[in-house]
Amino acid sequence: MVDITEREIEVFVGAVNRYFAQITGEKAKIRSSFLAEGEIHPPIYDFTGLISLSGRYRGCIYFSATKIMLMRLLLAMQEPRQTDAHLLDAVGEIANTLAGNAREYFGEDMGISVPTTFQGPSERLEAAVRERPYVIMIKWKQYEAAVIIDIAKK
Amino acid sequence: MRLLIVDDSSIIRSRIARIMGDPRLPSLKIVGMAKNGVEALELFSNAQPELVTMDLTMPEMDGVECTESMARLNPQANILVVSALSDKATAIKALKRGAKGFLYKPFTDEQLIGALLEVMS
Repeated sequence: MVDITEREIEVFVGAVNRYFAQITGEKAKIRSSFLAEGEIHPPIYDFTGLISLSGRYRGCIYFSATKIMLMRLLLAMQEPRQTDAHLLDAVGEIANTLAGNAREYFGEDMGISVPTTFQGPSERLEAAVRERPYVIMIKWKQYEAAVIIDIAKK
Repeated sequence: MRLLIVDDSSIIRSRIARIMGDPRLPSLKIVGMAKNGVEALELFSNAQPELVTMDLTMPEMDGVECTESMARLNPQANILVVSALSDKATAIKALKRGAKGFLYKPFTDEQLIGALLEVMS
């Protein structure tokens, strides 16, 4: 893949900040961001929402979070239902929102799919991400999540 | 006023439905909730809502196509697009195809109420 630029990373950091601020009233902290290469693998937490890219771009964007973070986010949305199905729905919606918001910068030529969701590690998820994706590690309150960005222009 | 909520996320559908009880809004009766454009069109034809909240990225039929079909069936329908797609071209496309307003996700309760009031006015 073509390395993502600093400006493009900022687009996703901005989307993460906006999401947590709007939904919870509290910004998430960006713990670190790095290129996952060699022995460093992108993280996969309890629930993951994957968006595939099309149009002038290829690759994918995924958001992966711990179960407890998603439960807290649902509470922040006043959603009392906390089944695994609802947590999968939530993680897919967050991935969709982050990818959709990124189109403000990338434009409509970045086609985004409906989310595919996973509980725990998945071979399909690992296969979707190519070499050297960019990882943004997030902390909100004491809970962890990550956004993984694998974008290249066609 | 009769309302149809269209979004592939059950969490967003429920959240929008909850906000409908806000006293700042006129009396709204939810006549249906759909998780894709095909379901939405069927409900739109049967329940004839005056107000619709419409997601764009959905399976089977996307929200732009669904908006266009609804506007053809009833040009007076007030369709508010509620979507994360934040590029200007998509908003313009949805408005040209019949939407009356556009609200970006993520949204606060206040932003949704404001957008609904604007569309209804």
